[in-house]
Amino acid sequence: MKIAKLIALSVILTFLPFAASAQGKPAPKDALLYFVWPQDGAAIKGGFWCRFGLRNMGVTHAGDNFQNSGHHHLLIDVNEPLEPNEPIPQDKSHLHFGAGQTEARIELPPGKHTLQLVLGDASHYPFSPPVVSEKITIRIK
Amino acid sequence: MAEIRNFKSGKNRGPPDDATPRRLAAIVAGDISGYSRLMQLDEEGTHNRVKRIERDLIEPTITEHHGRLVKTTGDGFIAIFDSPVEAVRCSIVIQQNLVGRNASLPRDYWVEYRIGVNLGDVIIETDDIYGDGVNIASRLESIADPGQVYISGGIYEQIKHKLVCGYESLGDRKVKNITDPVRVYRVLPDPAAFQRTRKRREHILLFLLSLALLVIAGGALWYLLLQQRGKVGNQASAPISSPAATPGSPSPPAPAAGPAAPQPQSAPSVAPIPQQAAPRPSPTPSAAPATQQAVQQPQPRATPSTPQASVPREPEMKTVRAGIFTMGSNDDVTEKPVHQVTIKPFAMSLYPVSVRDWNECAAAKACSFVAPGKDDAPVTNVSWSDAKQFVAWLADATRKAYRLPSEAEWEYAARGGTQTKYWWGDQFQSGMANCRNCNDIAGAEQPIKVGSFKPNPFGLYDMGGSVDQWVEDCWHKNYQGAPADGSAWVEGECGSHVIRSGSWKNDARYVRPSNRDSYDTNVRYPTHGFRVALSP
Repeated sequence: MKIAKLIALSVILTFLPFAASAQGKPAPKDALLYFVWPQDGAAIKGGFWCRFGLRNMGVTHAGDNFQNSGHHHLLIDVNEPLEPNEPIPQDKSHLHFGAGQTEARIELPPGKHTLQLVLGDASHYPFSPPVVSEKITIRIK
Repeated sequence: MAEIRNFKSGKNRGPPDDATPRRLAAIVAGDISGYSRLMQLDEEGTHNRVKRIERDLIEPTITEHHGRLVKTTGDGFIAIFDSPVEAVRCSIVIQQNLVGRNASLPRDYWVEYRIGVNLGDVIIETDDIYGDGVNIASRLESIADPGQVYISGGIYEQIKHKLVCGYESLGDRKVKNITDPVRVYRVLPDPAAFQRTRKRREHILLFLLSLALLVIAGGALWYLLLQQRGKVGNQASAPISSPAATPGSPSPPAPAAGPAAPQPQSAPSVAPIPQQAAPRPSPTPSAAPATQQAVQQPQPRATPSTPQASVPREPEMKTVRAGIFTMGSNDDVTEKPVHQVTIKPFAMSLYPVSVRDWNECAAAKACSFVAPGKDDAPVTNVSWSDAKQFVAWLADATRKAYRLPSEAEWEYAARGGTQTKYWWGDQFQSGMANCRNCNDIAGAEQPIKVGSFKPNPFGLYDMGGSVDQWVEDCWHKNYQGAPADGSAWVEGECGSHVIRSGSWKNDARYVRPSNRDSYDTNVRYPTHGFRVALSP
């Protein structure tokens, strides 16, 4: 009986990722996405290098289907909530780093801006639960 | 030895007067080709002209290049130079001047020199020089073609990095009465000439290669024909329609043959939308025709994949006339500065590349994946590299210069001759393009089939909205330093390329013809597609 249970459990575990792959792959609970730079409230002159930090997960190319890994997306001045069942949009306020970049040169017009990181899976869907950073506010002088 | 001893003993003695003076020199030997013929033709005239050339051209040119004219013979001259560079330069000047002088005369009266230059240790006397260095120079001159300068390996070694000319190696030549072969180079006064000779050689090579290929192809074709004849014979006995026999065979499903047959040929003039819509009245009208189609459809696809050179269905192209236009806008930092660009004539595909187009490439194993979705929807989820694979395959299969459009060509075509914000004016109008909140198409149906909206003034569909479209250019954050000739801007870091048009997921701002964005070269995204261009 025990063996049967174990088999059932392993089958479920094997198929779980496939079931989840429809929209958003599972992410470890302790995954942490954050800005190395800039920090919340920073005042910056001109362009800057934005550096992305990720703990307990790996960064890979978009299209690579490895467990516990994804690629960065930087959301600039985005107020709409993230759609968990849609690919992360691609436009001028949703920057994609599908080549596995962990930093980017950002140039923004003077004023207040918000920045937020979202980790996307091989096909640009957010993970479930979504791996997102805190939304920070910076000011460009 | 005597001299060395003297030197060592510190005796300050000049060069011995008795010994004949020797020195290393660049020897230039020139002579007129066909001198006797010229003399026979017009003795006095030729003599006068040669003397004039010597007086006006050869002597001053030699002096100018710090050389010394040793002697002139009836039809030639010998000069020595301290510097090989000056010697060759002088020779080129003489040859080029002669071209000018001959230009006004009939061919028969041309005075053409052949010139040889050699580096050698020679014995110098007041009115002549001796030594096999001189002999080699005159031998070089004798093998040179009229109007040419031939130099020896010794000279070449000295000047190769100093004088910007083309040098064509003619290999080691055995010359008369000289034991060792002499390495000979031909001087090509301008490097372009060098390219020309190389190109000529390439052409000959290419010709031979294509000849060889043709022979192989002919053999293969012959073999296939033989095989097919056997096959047709076999199939003729069976009642099932063979792929080769389309018109003659009494194919029973007559109605189905109608819509399916014209498809693979795709006459260029046929209006595309109804044609594409025709074969797929999606809500299956009745089971029978649907199944017949299902049976029929794979057949035409199977035909091209059979041996006889698979020619793919080409995308419908529209010729775009040449013109000058103002590229860019002040609406976004990436679109500045506004600048003028000249566009040469080219052709652009009427629609973005469709799933059907793409899957022909996938079937030929030239594209790396089979695209899902409806046949007449634009292909999506392609990276720039994927798009390049497709155009490379299409160009190869059709032997036409299919390629991605340049960014300038794309904007020119998208503007369709207008300078307004959108091709239809400065105000956005709903129903003109497939963008977010611009129409009432349900998200589930997206991307809807190509050509669902109005064409722009150039007759092109979906230039703005529908799918993002890759162009050839590398991404540059603005137009600072962009080319003005309509070519693709491929210099610089090319980790990302330019996408144009915006997609059904972007709002109306992205539909503007001047809008531009970038994306990583090797990354696929669900709204990214492309269209193809064709050089005339």
